[in-house]
Amino acid sequence: MSKKKICMVGDFSVGKTSLTQKFVNNVFSEKYLTTIGVKIDTANVGHTKLIVWDVAGRDSLSSINASYLVGAAGVVLVADGSRPHTVDDLNDIWSTVTQRIGDVPAVVALNKADLDDWGVGDDKVTEFRSLGWDVFNTSAKNGQNVPELFERLVEKINA
Amino acid sequence: MVDTTTQQNINKQLFQKLELAYFCVDHSMVVKDVSSNLSQYGFTDVCEGGNIEDFVDFMVGLDSHTEIDLPLVASPSGIPISVSLLPSEEQLTVLIANASVQAEQRQKLQQQANENELLVYQQKKLMAELERASAELERKNLQLEEASRLQTSFLSGVSHEFRTPLTSIIGYTNLVRKDLRHVSEQMVPRIAKTDDSQSYLRAVQRSSKHLLSLVENLLDHGKLDSNEIVIRPKRTDIAEVFEDAAILLHPLSTTKNIEFEVETNFSSPAFAVTDDSRLRQCLINLVGNAIKFTDTGSVTLSVDWKDDILDVAIRDTGPGISEEDLQKIRLPFWQAADTGKAGTGLGLTITERLIEMMGGELRIESKLGEGTHVHFALPMPAAPEGDSPVEQTNAEAVPLKLLLVEDDSDIADLVWMMLSERGVDVVHVANGALALDALNDDSFDIVLMDIHMPIMSGYDAIQELRARGDETPVVVMSASAMEADREKAELLGCQAYLTKPVDVDDIMNIADAVLSS
Ligand SMILES: Nc1nc2c(ncn2[C@@H]2O[C@H](COP(=O)(O)OP(=O)(O)O)[C@@H](O)[C@H]2O)c(=O)[nH]1
Ligand SMILES: [Mg+2]
Repeated sequence: MSKKKICMVGDFSVGKTSLTQKFVNNVFSEKYLTTIGVKIDTANVGHTKLIVWDVAGRDSLSSINASYLVGAAGVVLVADGSRPHTVDDLNDIWSTVTQRIGDVPAVVALNKADLDDWGVGDDKVTEFRSLGWDVFNTSAKNGQNVPELFERLVEKINA
Repeated sequence: MVDTTTQQNINKQLFQKLELAYFCVDHSMVVKDVSSNLSQYGFTDVCEGGNIEDFVDFMVGLDSHTEIDLPLVASPSGIPISVSLLPSEEQLTVLIANASVQAEQRQKLQQQANENELLVYQQKKLMAELERASAELERKNLQLEEASRLQTSFLSGVSHEFRTPLTSIIGYTNLVRKDLRHVSEQMVPRIAKTDDSQSYLRAVQRSSKHLLSLVENLLDHGKLDSNEIVIRPKRTDIAEVFEDAAILLHPLSTTKNIEFEVETNFSSPAFAVTDDSRLRQCLINLVGNAIKFTDTGSVTLSVDWKDDILDVAIRDTGPGISEEDLQKIRLPFWQAADTGKAGTGLGLTITERLIEMMGGELRIESKLGEGTHVHFALPMPAAPEGDSPVEQTNAEAVPLKLLLVEDDSDIADLVWMMLSERGVDVVHVANGALALDALNDDSFDIVLMDIHMPIMSGYDAIQELRARGDETPVVVMSASAMEADREKAELLGCQAYLTKPVDVDDIMNIADAVLSS
């Protein structure tokens, strides 16, 4: 079985940990606990053993520690659809990724799709798609598009 | 220079203090050496000769030649560790240290900072929403105001349309009643029949008058709403105002069999400066209401005028008003549900506004079963002695001047009343000869001429007038609908021919057309 490392990246509190936990353990918690450093989980997707690095988000105190990215075969770019600026920040975060590990396969999770105050414009989605990313409206809360998100990334990595 | 033994001791101490663990792999990632305490971090079963990726997840994807620091990694045991990859020629050494203390500090700081930032964000969002909501409210408010303005102007418009036909219904029923009286005097056997008709007509008139007063209230309300009503104070004998009100309202109290008393501390003449017609309107409304709602006992109007203040109190022994209804009573169009008394529910609203405009305030005190006490006070200075009435300045357009030639005084009165209502300046004469005199002495915008009159008929008068070279427009008004009469009128150069009963709107339309051509 092949093993692949992937990284969850995005601003803090967008749902990186929640998406990972939903996917790996099928659990969700409303409580917010900031991830410090990195937490590593594993899950099998088909014949691939996925090593998921749930990296601390970019926040007011620090940017993403690029060392965590080393060795990743792909990334999940996560944003909070109810906080539009976290969507805009993905471009910056992507350049951090490419500087360190190059143009790896990527998928985008516009998370918290279960919330009412959705603030992502169609133009943003179009822009992301034109960068070659698959864009998913996800919800760690109700599970919407969560397996699809990870499966798609694995497909791209193995392609 | 530290000797080897000391160095080893230091290393041992450090390893213990930092709880350092390690493993070494060759460049094919095959495990070569493992520290005995590695399992304390949850990395179990790491055995020499195996591939490190099978035992340690974080090693997946990493290579053996790159030096790298991975701070604050959650180890399988849950203990936060910091990981250092130290490559050399022969192998890669991976050092693992306990980072609990760092992680704990970091966690607190980071959690606080992130939560704060989220809070600030939520706050900003809420503020923006609040602003949006209040803007929306404001917009709605404006819409409501506009709707209410439209409603008022619609009501005013409709009321105005109603007023003219109502006036003519009242006027013409009056004429018919007089005719009937005439008939019954002459034709004794049919007296019973005409008596019935008389009372039916009285009912028609009563209802029409009621309608007219409602319509007038609606009109006043509309004007008050658009600030069109102006208070015009002038020298007024207020004793007369109160006497008038008493005379007008007494019949009402008599039919209801209740006592109605007026007490004033002054007698005629008592000259003050006030708008007598508005004051009268307020009194009739308030006292009228009191009488309307009182079924037994009395209504008392007491008036006190001193120190330039007019104090008016109206007390009744009626059913009183509940506290709940007292709140609503001033709202336009409100009516007590169970009283069964007709009205627009505007009288009190209008009165209250008028009193305010005159500088007073209407107060109503009442309890269910204990009657009602209505009170207001107005600033009312005495008029200086010998002061002539303040002229009402009317900056309106010059009114239309019309000569009405009509021998039937009832019809003349009616037409005069309806036209005057429209602001027309009407002069009335009773036959053709008098009309010619009037046209000789004065000039008119238009002549409204009956045909069949004693002394000189309308046709003769028109002929004479045209012979004189007087081209004043003439509108013929005749009971005859015969085409021949119409043709004759045309031949004489009349501008229009109207058949009785004439509609005041028709007269106004023709006057407008004639004058603008
Ligand atoms: N409604 C909703 N809340 C979510 C969703 N995903 C995460 N959250 C909440 O968002 C907060 C931050 O989630 P977390 O996974 O810790 O974000 P991270 O900082 O990116 O790892 C937590 O309170 C979660 O419960 C989602 O899909 N829907
Ligand atoms: Mg997290």
